[in-house]
Amino acid sequence: MTFSLSIFLYLYIAFLVMWFFLSLSAIYHMFKFGFKNLITFLSTFIFIIISIFLLASSYYYISEIDWKTQISLFEGIFSRTLEF
Amino acid sequence: MLSIYRLPNMLPGEKVVKVMRRDTFILFKKVLLFAVLLILPLVFFYLVLSTNSDFVSSEFFYPLLVLGVSAYYLFIWLFFFFSFIDYYLDVWIITSERIIDIQQKGFFSRVIAEQKLTRVQDVTSETSGMIPTIFKYGDVHIQTAGEVQRFNFQEVPHPDEVRDLIIKLVQRKRKEKPQEEF
Repeated sequence: MTFSLSIFLYLYIAFLVMWFFLSLSAIYHMFKFGFKNLITFLSTFIFIIISIFLLASSYYYISEIDWKTQISLFEGIFSRTLEF
Repeated sequence: MLSIYRLPNMLPGEKVVKVMRRDTFILFKKVLLFAVLLILPLVFFYLVLSTNSDFVSSEFFYPLLVLGVSAYYLFIWLFFFFSFIDYYLDVWIITSERIIDIQQKGFFSRVIAEQKLTRVQDVTSETSGMIPTIFKYGDVHIQTAGEVQRFNFQEVPHPDEVRDLIIKLVQRKRKEKPQEEF
């Protein structure tokens, strides 16, 4: 069975889209229902900064990989002849 | 956005007496869980690498590892923020006129209830369990004559003091406005 590594990248991008919308929803909740004080702003700021750091470091490692690579799994396992 | 100086339906002369959230220990438990989830992959990799060091250099497993680790850390970071929001947005406010119960139930549900102090019938504080006793937090149950008959302040610090404070405020209010319906 041969397939491209990029399949995993597309799955990851789908996860990122979902993650992004949930993050926006969290930030919206914080600003809509949180108290107007330093904790609300600071916690949201820290969330955004660390998220950017995680996304940037993920991008660094992901960009180094050749996603066009074809992967072969379980090849030849059914055509093997058994020796007696 | 809520402001402590401009509560919803604020009455003339109303003053905020106390704003409460769950005890800090509850937040500490969430941070502890986050720390464990943070370390977990490191332990896993240590165990895997000590038995099979070729695993990371494999052209199939390395990309999966990068994507998996990235997705895992993004997920637990968001999960921790959700968890903090759940803690932070559950607020109980005692003012000179009323008690307000604001609860974030899940992520897309929010309940706000309020009741005048003069309609409070009974206040009970409850501390049960070893950890709540050590860290002095517990529940305060407030029985009222309103539509929402029971207000529960959950895992608030010093529940006995909160109960005493509410009883004192209710008694003062009843002296000020004895004609008001209880």
